[in-house]
Amino acid sequence: MTLSLQRQMMENLIIAKARQDALQRKMEDRRLRLQEEANRRFAASGAMTPEEREQRILYTNVLEYEQDHDWPKQWKAKMKKNPDVSLVSNLVSYLLSRSDHPVVKLLRKHQYRVYNRLYPIVSKGLPKSPAMPLRPCHSIHNPLHPDTPKRPVRTACSTQSVKSFSTDLISPSRSHNLTPKYEEEEAEDPSEQGTMDRENSFEDLEQFVTQMDWVPPPSSTDDTASDSDLVCDFSVPLERDESHVQELEKRAVKEHLKAVVKDIHIAIDQLLSLCLLSFECLNTASFKDLCLASIEEAFFTPLWSALVALFRKVYVEREQAYETSVKLYSDASPRDIGIPLKLFPQNTGSPQGSYPYGSAIQELKLLIHDRCPQRKLECIVRTLRLICACAEDYRCLHEGDTTPKTAAIGADDLLPILSYVALRCQCPQLVSECAALEEFIHEGYLIGEEGYCLTSMQSALAYVESLHTGVAQLPVGKLI
Amino acid sequence: MAAANSGKTYSFKVVLLGEGCVGKTSLVLRYCENKFNDKHITTLQASFLTKKLNITGKRVNLAIWDTAGQERFHALGPIYYRDSNGAILVYDITDEDSFQKVKNWVKELRKMLGNEICLCIVGNKIDLDKDRHVSVEEAESYAESVGAKHYHTSAKLNKGIEELFLDLCKRMMETAQAEERLKGNGASQSASSRRGVQIVDDEPQATPAGGCCSSG
Repeated sequence: MTLSLQRQMMENLIIAKARQDALQRKMEDRRLRLQEEANRRFAASGAMTPEEREQRILYTNVLEYEQDHDWPKQWKAKMKKNPDVSLVSNLVSYLLSRSDHPVVKLLRKHQYRVYNRLYPIVSKGLPKSPAMPLRPCHSIHNPLHPDTPKRPVRTACSTQSVKSFSTDLISPSRSHNLTPKYEEEEAEDPSEQGTMDRENSFEDLEQFVTQMDWVPPPSSTDDTASDSDLVCDFSVPLERDESHVQELEKRAVKEHLKAVVKDIHIAIDQLLSLCLLSFECLNTASFKDLCLASIEEAFFTPLWSALVALFRKVYVEREQAYETSVKLYSDASPRDIGIPLKLFPQNTGSPQGSYPYGSAIQELKLLIHDRCPQRKLECIVRTLRLICACAEDYRCLHEGDTTPKTAAIGADDLLPILSYVALRCQCPQLVSECAALEEFIHEGYLIGEEGYCLTSMQSALAYVESLHTGVAQLPVGKLI
Repeated sequence: MAAANSGKTYSFKVVLLGEGCVGKTSLVLRYCENKFNDKHITTLQASFLTKKLNITGKRVNLAIWDTAGQERFHALGPIYYRDSNGAILVYDITDEDSFQKVKNWVKELRKMLGNEICLCIVGNKIDLDKDRHVSVEEAESYAESVGAKHYHTSAKLNKGIEELFLDLCKRMMETAQAEERLKGNGASQSASSRRGVQIVDDEPQATPAGGCCSSG
């Protein structure tokens, strides 16, 4: 009896094994078929570059996904029936919410990669406030800026840790990836665990970054990691060597930033093209723009704080210049910045803390809270529009009840006002934010109103930075 | 990418340069107000203006960037005029000094942007001809010597402005077409978008407001 039972069990096992094999073969067949389909699709393009191969594999994944899921077909049908802007944004946001879709997997992979490149540098650059008094020799540096790159060993350290850190982070997710079919899939983390890890580390990062946000008096004392750096600091005997190392380090951070920016551009290009491959109906000029905007928002939102922290390291000197000007000109009136009398109210009896162009100043202060370039750009546009609206009001006030003339303000008026607003905003981070926007806003936008506003903002900031270097540049020279 | 079809839109960026009181703001306001009755004045008022034109069957979108004329903002010029297709350099015919400033701008623009940019030198305020301090001959021969065109305008009397912009647009179109031909017929279309001349295929759908041309 037991024997027959045993035999039956054996048979069952064999059947199960055969079934599994068949299933695997079937899956493999399907994969090959889809691969062929992908190959056909790209057949026009002659010899294959590694990028093309990667894209082909990604496209195979898309086809595979579409065999298992119905919604892409349904959306495509909907789009065919009624191609409409609101439908496009719905489709793209639905797509981005499907965490198992190849587009989203690719998005996560790229975000993860960029994040890994940012994290070591950014976390290293935490405010080392307790260490500050111990370094009196760095008098050229503004002590208000604890994240000035000044630890000589960091260059070597950080590049090393970039490596170790990223492998550390990637390896656990790799082990969850049970059957990696392709090399390219390695860094993907489809498992729940991988996602969890990443979210945690993003949270982690948020914390670091909030510490890095600009606070006038350096008072946070929650960092002990700087001790080892400190020791190294003293071990370098020569000032000259140190400045040399600093120089090298600065260059290294700059290079790193460049590389990260390039990576991001490549990532977004790749994401967009995969998105358009998945949904060909999106491949028209205006839909593509919408699609790109959604991708960018999804891509940048979790990364922006870390990204801007790296920008701040590179632009630390410009931020310091801005800060110095802010301090020197904290009492400057609009007239001192060169705004014509008719464009601001003279009644000095205004309540404490309220300034002319207050609404524009408030708007601009919101910029650092947005997490994606396009939104930030919109914030700058709103700021400039508010300036124009305020200027109009102030002029009407001056001219009394006489019919308001249509003489609109031009750049001769706008730029001084914007400089005043940028100064009153008292936020050095703006400098780095705008530098980052220059990198990530794509060219199409730069010729239009948005581009004009960003350019004006950059000019105003540059002007504010230059203020402290020469009082003579001011139209009215009675300051300080 | 069939050549010479009418389904193309040219997007041009024109930068407006000149000293503080030469009247460049009223010049451009005049131009954009006249035909379109305030409609085309954006919420940025006279600092940034757009205008849509139709020239010999081709559509042209013009973006006019005003710059601050004050000396202290001079160093910031380059970020305004990068990628410009045209520049309008305005001086006041009653102010010799403002003409000198134009000469400085020309030098700088040629140095930074080469010969690809179409330059217009504009003597404004011809309604004040009796106070003229810059002679017509001097201005015109100077313009010719630097490969620029010279125009006389009066924003007050609305004289010469329409012609100035129309002429400039035609020249920018010629430059863009020459560039296209040079690039070969669509062989390297991806690289062409960098300099601001964007040639976009016609769109059947209405583009959203504020949307601009995008090319790959």
